[in-house]
Amino acid sequence: METIKNYLEAMFANMPNTPEVMKAKAELFSMMEDKYNEMIADGVSENEAVGTVISEFGNLDELAEDLGLVKEVEEVHVREVERPRRFVELSEVQDYLDGRKLRGIMIGAGVFLCVISVIFPIIADEFAMRESYGILGMFISIAVAIGLFIFSGIIGNDFRYLQKELCQIDMSTAEYVKDKKNDSKYALAMMQTIGIILCVVSWLPAAVFDNKMAPVCLFVMVGIGLFLIIYSAKIKNGYNTILNLNDATTISGTYGKELDAKYISRTAEVFMSVYWSTITCIYLIVSFVTMNWGSTWLIWIIAAIVHKILKVALVKED
Amino acid sequence: MVEISSDVIRGYNDTMILSILIKEPSYGYEISKQIRRISDDKYIIKETTLYSAFTRMEKNGYIESFVADKDPEGNGKKRTYYRVTDAGREFYNSKCDEWVLTKEVIERFIEKK
Repeated sequence: METIKNYLEAMFANMPNTPEVMKAKAELFSMMEDKYNEMIADGVSENEAVGTVISEFGNLDELAEDLGLVKEVEEVHVREVERPRRFVELSEVQDYLDGRKLRGIMIGAGVFLCVISVIFPIIADEFAMRESYGILGMFISIAVAIGLFIFSGIIGNDFRYLQKELCQIDMSTAEYVKDKKNDSKYALAMMQTIGIILCVVSWLPAAVFDNKMAPVCLFVMVGIGLFLIIYSAKIKNGYNTILNLNDATTISGTYGKELDAKYISRTAEVFMSVYWSTITCIYLIVSFVTMNWGSTWLIWIIAAIVHKILKVALVKED
Repeated sequence: MVEISSDVIRGYNDTMILSILIKEPSYGYEISKQIRRISDDKYIIKETTLYSAFTRMEKNGYIESFVADKDPEGNGKKRTYYRVTDAGREFYNSKCDEWVLTKEVIERFIEKK
């Protein structure tokens, strides 16, 4: 079956990425699949079934004509010659994604250091050390952060061509990135959620304990929260950047846009996109009104469970 | 063994498909199977030919497509089904008349062995 799929992808490799072509590909695949399954059910060997299906497929030139795509197919050819799109190899994509991860850690750590830099004077004060130690700690922390920003910028420069040049990826690379994105989906969403929660509840210690170290806690929590948010966003955007390289004018392959969850209706989509901000508002309002910070955090747990259920209920199945 | 040349049969793929759809709405693979069966395995329509014919006839208003979740055997696969329209029936009839005439004319030039 995999062979048939690859064959079809190869046949469509020079077709533009329009909805008509996508539909044709899906329909042809469905017919080939039916034929293959029936032959297998009749006891034909797998190799023979694949061979028959492929030999009876026909050719795509006549299809281009009937789909009214002759012009587009030609345009794709002309464009390849006049304004060639750079083919980004799988190894380059892997380098980019690894670099992205590293930069996520660097920028996240830099932001973390900037945020926590202010705790050094507080610590110095608390432990009755000389004030200059605190100031020194603060500046070192900021200096390291700036170093990290600059270094991450240099790494990023290696991949500027992804933004500046017209690029495209082939089908197998798109599939690879798509799989990776799907695999890391939950881990990234979890990181982002924990990051947001940390930022939101960061000042809880300061509210509960009347202690000089409470502000330290606040800054560390915000710092970790921001690190998680930045790191997960960096990785996620990396996948999207690669997947969005292909569009309607490139050869067929995965569109980035298609990969996100499709909701059953426009309303559901809008609702889900504002879900977490709404929960944050509810949390803050309820907490401030009741001043019951000790138990209002339960809203997050309930919201996470409700989110999971809504997602199952509202996402359109393919 | 002689084979049907695709140039000759091209003009009549639509007729074959319509004759099957006039009996009942059907989907891609089922139609290609029917064509094969009715022609006693003498003509196997290519997938691309079939799909081209669908898009062309749909554009001309001879057939309509709809998506059905289940086929009569209760198979769960989602498929695009096609059904014939009134314009399609009319077109089919005119193609039948055309063929009778074509056959009659060509026959006169064919040497009987």
